[in-house]
Amino acid sequence: MSTPSVTITVDGAPIEVNPERMLLPELLDKGFSIPHFCYQESLGSDGNCRMCMVEIAGKKRPQIACDTPIVTGMEIRTRGESIEKVRRDILELELINHPVDCPICDQAGECSLQDYYMEYGLYQGKVDKKEKHPFDKHIDLGANVMHDQERCVLCQRCVRFCRDVTHTDELCVAGRGDRSYITTVPGEKLHNNYAMNIVDLCPVGALTSKDFRFQQRVWFLATSPSVCHGCAKGCAIDIDHAKSKYHDDTIYRFRPRKNPEINGEFICDAGRLSYKETQTNLLKTCHIRKETLPEAEALDRWRAILTEDEYPIVVLADANLYTEELAALQAFARTLHARLYAPLEAYHDPAFGDDWLKSPQRAANSEGVKRLGIATEMPTINDNTLVINVNHPDGHRTANRIDLLTHQPDEDTGRVPARLTLPIAPWVQSSGHLINEDGIKQYCEQVLRRNDPIPTLIERLKQVTDEEYDKHFDNRETAS
Amino acid sequence: MIEDIRIISRRFDLPQSHTLAVARQHGAYQSVKTLTERTPESIIAAVEASGLRGKGGGGAPTGAKWRLMEGDFDGRPKYVVVNADESEPGTFKDGHILSKDPHLLIEGILLTCYALGAHDAYIYIRGEYYERQQILQHAIDEAYAAGILGQSIMGNDYRVDLTVHRGAGAYICGEKSALLESMEGKRGHPRLKPHQKEPEWYFGNPTLVNNVETIATVPFIVTEGAEAYRQYGTERSPGTLLFALSGHVNRPGVYEAPFGTPLMEYIEHYGGGIRNGGTLKAVIPGGASTSVLTADEAAQARLDYESMQGLGSALGTGGIIVMDESVNMVEALKNLMAFYHDESCGQCTPCREGTGWVDAILARILAREGSRDDLKKLLDISETMNGKTVCVFAPAASSVIDAMVQKFETEFLRYLDTGGAA
Ligand SMILES: Cc1cc2nc3c(=O)[nH]c(=O)nc-3n(C[C@H](O)[C@H](O)[C@H](O)COP(=O)(O)O)c2cc1C
Ligand code: SF4
Ligand code: SF4
Ligand code: SF4
Ligand code: FES
Repeated sequence: MSTPSVTITVDGAPIEVNPERMLLPELLDKGFSIPHFCYQESLGSDGNCRMCMVEIAGKKRPQIACDTPIVTGMEIRTRGESIEKVRRDILELELINHPVDCPICDQAGECSLQDYYMEYGLYQGKVDKKEKHPFDKHIDLGANVMHDQERCVLCQRCVRFCRDVTHTDELCVAGRGDRSYITTVPGEKLHNNYAMNIVDLCPVGALTSKDFRFQQRVWFLATSPSVCHGCAKGCAIDIDHAKSKYHDDTIYRFRPRKNPEINGEFICDAGRLSYKETQTNLLKTCHIRKETLPEAEALDRWRAILTEDEYPIVVLADANLYTEELAALQAFARTLHARLYAPLEAYHDPAFGDDWLKSPQRAANSEGVKRLGIATEMPTINDNTLVINVNHPDGHRTANRIDLLTHQPDEDTGRVPARLTLPIAPWVQSSGHLINEDGIKQYCEQVLRRNDPIPTLIERLKQVTDEEYDKHFDNRETAS
Repeated sequence: MIEDIRIISRRFDLPQSHTLAVARQHGAYQSVKTLTERTPESIIAAVEASGLRGKGGGGAPTGAKWRLMEGDFDGRPKYVVVNADESEPGTFKDGHILSKDPHLLIEGILLTCYALGAHDAYIYIRGEYYERQQILQHAIDEAYAAGILGQSIMGNDYRVDLTVHRGAGAYICGEKSALLESMEGKRGHPRLKPHQKEPEWYFGNPTLVNNVETIATVPFIVTEGAEAYRQYGTERSPGTLLFALSGHVNRPGVYEAPFGTPLMEYIEHYGGGIRNGGTLKAVIPGGASTSVLTADEAAQARLDYESMQGLGSALGTGGIIVMDESVNMVEALKNLMAFYHDESCGQCTPCREGTGWVDAILARILAREGSRDDLKKLLDISETMNGKTVCVFAPAASSVIDAMVQKFETEFLRYLDTGGAA
């Protein structure tokens, strides 16, 4: 069914809007700039901030657009001296107990209050209160969320998220009037697995991530759209990274990227914090058993083992690899007459799953594996089988093997050192498609361009295959 | 000369009037005995015809409000909630009903429940009304024991259960939707106004919220008829109201009077005139959230909705605060604004921040640190608080500020220009 539409007049010009929605979301979608704190797309209207005032012909007083139903033919004004004065005055009240110390606030640069302040030019407002209310700062709400009460505009987005979205109700407003503040209910801390979303939801610097705060000014960050690799849900994310002076390109945070089909506007905390794994303990050097050796010598070994050895060969693929990489491995295995497996059991993690986003299948491309027809069981491996283990979590059981790894192997697990170990680039240094558990295909661009790039899996495979084979897997579009 | 009319207060002066025995001896529950012989519609029609207006401050027509409860609502239960939060300075009439004639209220509740098809009623009582709550609860216990409340009310095939819910000391919980939020176990934040006329909702079920005195008026209307009620008062303000008289009068108290009674006659007759033979300076006519009247305005005022509205104020709850010449209006406004500052629920920005700012400016003026600019600021902030908030708490505060500052500007200026009151 097509969305219904009616005509209304906004600032003198007729526009088509959907009468089943409130006025504010429609105006925002149509590109009108209307300040708002409490309305939020996923949380809906609450009507408490009173910032979204517009004038409606026939109404004596300005109305909040977030709670105004659309009526055919209505005439709206979003601009003009009188409505702008109303907004300026309400904004001014919002600031009366606000510290306005943007230079030391972590939200600066992505703060609604700061933006509106600039837009409505309150540099010479009538704020005169000498004593602002004493509020607490840096309160640890739990779950990596820090709260600064004096910056809070009491829009209750955080409270509503914990009430309406996670249904965990850890947060509430306490106190009354201008002494109102946000706090966790007595005896509780934030304990839901999605709590850090309230940091994104908070329109000001009142909620910050313990992990991200004071690490980087937001205007230095570059953003790359990508997909979380934390589980098979494949939440859409934006990856914020920066290459600052004397530092290599570094990721500072993952944030949810809106995708109504998958994760809406939210991601889980585990996924959000998984950015760390993409840049710590990376494997950078080649090894024979436990001895490091130069890349050039390792390459010789890599070719030598594959051509000299006559073992039956098994390739174990990580189910987090991009579809393009998996397809390349398929072709690679075919040339070697090897058998390819991506055993999925290793990624099954019931404790991780829940009834919202988090999937008990932790592999980001398990669906991609299945669609390529790659076997998903763990094969029986004899002592004489040569295993080429491409980053599979259970790939290290036998001694006769070559490891292609993104991370330094964990020595504590009693793992048998491989005959040869070669580093491959982690997913943020590579690119390709993932298919999530619901069959949705998404592309991940290469996020980091490090000064010391690690070969991607596809580059590694090229190192040991002839030109003819190259041609074969260059045609990888058909593989995805 | 004022004639004593007693509709609600008729048993107030009897010894032990709060007990079931005394109340019954003097006519209580007569209307309930044969209740089911009447149709619910006949009760609604009587209330509608009587022109009864809500006595909790707004003065909304009660009949029309009851009509919103008509219909099936998908078979959901209907509730009746009595607003006994009474926390506004200058308003203390409902407390008299609770302590002097709780059975009149219970009778009204029974009639209302039957009329609307509700079986469960709640009284939301101000937390500080501890003793009144005890008296009320005792009356309810007596009514249950006598079979007046419960499974079959006075032998009628109709169940009504009545529960008292105590508030925790917030003025805003007298606002009907905040009250229901509070009764649902939530923070007392008023709800957004609905887009069309509809009942209130208690846990998603259709609910009527009426003031104590409104409900206590129902037995008279049901027993004596709509015309009997209309015999008193004016065309647009029919009947009587329990006015609460306080301030600088000789006999403060709660006295019932017909709407339309001239304000000054009322003050003379019931209050015994101004304290110590003093001169009247101003009157706040309907509880702390109505605009102050100057002595001149008070002389023209009648105690009804239309007269007060004509004077730019409101009848409100009928809580009359009388001020003589000794009152310093800057201090009086500071006192009122300290209340609003303290009681703002804090949900919406103009009220949360505006009340505190106004309070701070007034403190500065009183400390003789103000400037003329401050008066402009007060009116400017008041403007932002008016008509832009979730509930009418802030607009009420706004009208209080405007009236005080505009009508007594010279007093404020004296503070600003000479650094103090004369
Ligand atoms: C701030 C505020 C406080 C209120 N306090 C009371 C109260 O204490 N008692 C009351 O009956 N109504 C109070 N009201 C009015 C109620 O919202 C509601 O209109 C009333 O209970 C309806 O009853 P009525 O129609 O019988 O007057 C208050 C309203 C506001 C805005
Ligand atoms: S902490 Fe942030 S999200 Fe929560 S109420 Fe305050 S401003 Fe809104
Ligand atoms: S639910 Fe899965 S994909 Fe989404 S953020 Fe969490 S770990 Fe990542
Ligand atoms: S106007 Fe005041 S009392 Fe009413 S909802 Fe807003 S903050 Fe609360
Ligand atoms: S966005 Fe409309 S009131 Fe806050």
